[in-house]
Amino acid sequence: MLPADCSRRLVAELQGALDACAQRQLQLEQSLRVCRRLLQAWEPTGTWALKPPPGPETNEEDPLPACTPSPQDLKELEFLTQALEKAVRVRRGITKAGERDKAPSLKSRSIVTSPGTTASAPPQSRGQAGQAGGHASDTRPTKGLRQTAVPAKGHAERRLLSVGDRTRVGMGARAPRPGAGLRDQQMAPSAAPQAPEAFTLKEKGHLLRLPAAFRKAASQNSSLWAQLGSTQTSDSMDATAAKTQFLQNMQTASGVPQPRLSAAEVEAEAGRLRKACSLLRLRMREELSAAPMDWMQEYRCLLTLEGLQAMVGQCLHRLQELRAAVVVQPPRPCPVEGPPRASPSCRGGAEPAWSPQLLVYSSTQELQTLAALQLRVAMLDQQIHLEKVLMAELLPLVSTAQPQGPPWLALCRAAHSLLCEGGARVLTILRDEPAV
Amino acid sequence: MGRRRQRVDPAAGARAGALPEAIAALSRSLPSGPSPEIFRRAKFDRPEATSALWQLLFRVLSPLPVGNALASLALEAQAHLVKSALCSQGYPRLALAQLPEDGSQGSRELLLALSWLLARGPVPEQMLAQARVPLGDEMTVCQCEALASPGPPAPHMEAEGPVDVRRVQWLMGKLQFRWRQLVSSQQEQCALLSKIHLYTRGCHSDQSLGHLSVTEAEMLRDPEGGQQLLQTLERENQRLEAVLAWRHTELVFWRWMDTVLGTCAPEVPAAASQPTFLPWVPERGGGELELVVRELQALEEELREAVERRRAAWEAKAGGCGRGPEWSAARRASREAVEKELGALQQCWKQDSGPARPHGPHRLVRREDGAAGERDLRAAEVIRTLRSQEACLEAVLRRLQGQCRQELARLVGALPGLIWIPPPGR
Repeated sequence: MLPADCSRRLVAELQGALDACAQRQLQLEQSLRVCRRLLQAWEPTGTWALKPPPGPETNEEDPLPACTPSPQDLKELEFLTQALEKAVRVRRGITKAGERDKAPSLKSRSIVTSPGTTASAPPQSRGQAGQAGGHASDTRPTKGLRQTAVPAKGHAERRLLSVGDRTRVGMGARAPRPGAGLRDQQMAPSAAPQAPEAFTLKEKGHLLRLPAAFRKAASQNSSLWAQLGSTQTSDSMDATAAKTQFLQNMQTASGVPQPRLSAAEVEAEAGRLRKACSLLRLRMREELSAAPMDWMQEYRCLLTLEGLQAMVGQCLHRLQELRAAVVVQPPRPCPVEGPPRASPSCRGGAEPAWSPQLLVYSSTQELQTLAALQLRVAMLDQQIHLEKVLMAELLPLVSTAQPQGPPWLALCRAAHSLLCEGGARVLTILRDEPAV
Repeated sequence: MGRRRQRVDPAAGARAGALPEAIAALSRSLPSGPSPEIFRRAKFDRPEATSALWQLLFRVLSPLPVGNALASLALEAQAHLVKSALCSQGYPRLALAQLPEDGSQGSRELLLALSWLLARGPVPEQMLAQARVPLGDEMTVCQCEALASPGPPAPHMEAEGPVDVRRVQWLMGKLQFRWRQLVSSQQEQCALLSKIHLYTRGCHSDQSLGHLSVTEAEMLRDPEGGQQLLQTLERENQRLEAVLAWRHTELVFWRWMDTVLGTCAPEVPAAASQPTFLPWVPERGGGELELVVRELQALEEELREAVERRRAAWEAKAGGCGRGPEWSAARRASREAVEKELGALQQCWKQDSGPARPHGPHRLVRREDGAAGERDLRAAEVIRTLRSQEACLEAVLRRLQGQCRQELARLVGALPGLIWIPPPGR
């Protein structure tokens, strides 16, 4: 058995690592649920199909209830659908011949301009019908129109008109055909609740459009963040001077001319020195493994090593100073328990980039490799830390244990496995009895 | 009130409303910021302003976003944690630590503490960034907030008492398993993410992005959630505008704070001569120092041996060389070159901010050609960096494991009658 305090520290350390992993796993699983749901067929729930697009014309804050429309609405819609049916008949007569060939692509592209998911349900019914041939497509819309249950609330008209405009914008060469836009748009109110085909991201994903209000808010958001970034770098000199002056005044008013070394600073410095150690070690490796060609290079190598030695000495000196500064002072009325963990450097970083930058990848493999490497580096980091902790705890135990019987052998075996094999493999100890 | 203020800050070119404007912007830019009235009352040390300021300080200093658990802490607990955190950041004034934690007095002191924090760093921006609505699929490249860095001991601890070393082995194995699980979940998520990006290409209004993110697609799938997202985004926009307004008007606030500080009596330090000290020793901080000391000492030892060897070899070889002028010139040149190199090396850790490595989360964007702008990262480059990091860390781990092997061999090798059979190699 390990001594109590050692046990406590080891278990606490490992448990902390386990908890961090579990937390991350939870987040991943949440995200996985969302992604899987997105990739399955989207359920045409009442709300999303029937919600009018929150454009600049509307000020709706809450989604429409997906329920029975008022009689007035139904009447309005009836008028509307009659008008549209007529348009269909006119259209059909004019463009039937030309349309059939280009039907699928035209219809799917014209739907593209409708905002939100209201567009996503209708296209497939139209598009697939279109593919099947001209006739089926014509019977569909009329049937759908009669069965509509959309509470248009007078938005439908405006929507049609605005879609007409947007059709022009979105369709390039095919643009000046408001009729086509209209005809296709008429599907929107009708087919939504009746669409038997579900919407899948795979087939229709490229037809989606973000709602206008969101687009506006998002672009405003990114421009505001960008402005914030630029004001940061060109901070007014006066303000900075005023702040520095204020801090100095605070310091002198407190009676202590020099600021004390704070715990956060000690931690930061310790981190810097740890980085120094690894950089110095790396450099030493490079020097030692390089084969000098001539005496000049050998001399330089020697000088470098001596320089490195001096720097290590300086670092150690600084560490001794820090150590000396870390002293518990009884009269200071400060709480004993530590604060929550100091904020990581990312948050209060020297040059935080306020506007998000992009990370561009080109294939699934690349993304997976990237993510796997990231996890691997994090895991190695953790393993190294645990290794140091285990070394600090277990090696002294092995060396100081006096009765060197079987329990000690078991400890040695476990220590070896944990320290040298990462806990993955265990060695065997054979007792070599002298021959009788 | 307004007239007095104008006399005090004539140079600010202030209209009568400059200070209230600044304070109003400040309070709008902080999360659940107190009303400007609170600030005014705090200047006069009115007790009713105290609890709001304690709560604000708590939100500012809390390193994690204040969730429900933290927000429901009693005022005393929040005040307590605020004191700890300020202490650990080196807050100079003693009066704060002596304040009662029930919120009955001390609002002026708290106002000073808040201003101290505001002067030291871009607090409103940091808080906004922390609570930011991620519209894209984010991936953090740097290791600052790495999952790997073990936090303080978990609050829920198992029964403390001696444990068998086999439990430690078991915990280690469990940890390895969890990592493997993480990796496979992560791989699946990447595949799904990539699909979603692929299927929604051509949708986004922003051409540089090109496709929707999961958040955006989810918003389309679920308009109610989308409404909430929109509202949160709009609120964030409002706060951003407030922060920008604050940055434009903050000068007059600092002049005002100087007057507030002037109304306080200067403090007398506790002892006549105070060496630098920390009020408490964080268990982790102390441990960290020790680990670094040990590492550096080990490195020092290695270097000492290497230098001795090389110096001896050099003396033997170059002892016979002439001491001509070209020889000493060459030596001087070498010395200078080495000094410059090592100086550059030292800069690598002396500087506070890391090298050009970008920090923080990045938005994932899929592009067939992998083209990226100047400030953007390319996955291929990041992969290269990570691979080299991986190699470095693996080397470190192997070295540590080798050290342990040697040490253990030394400790147990002396025993007769035992044969140690190492496990079969990889």
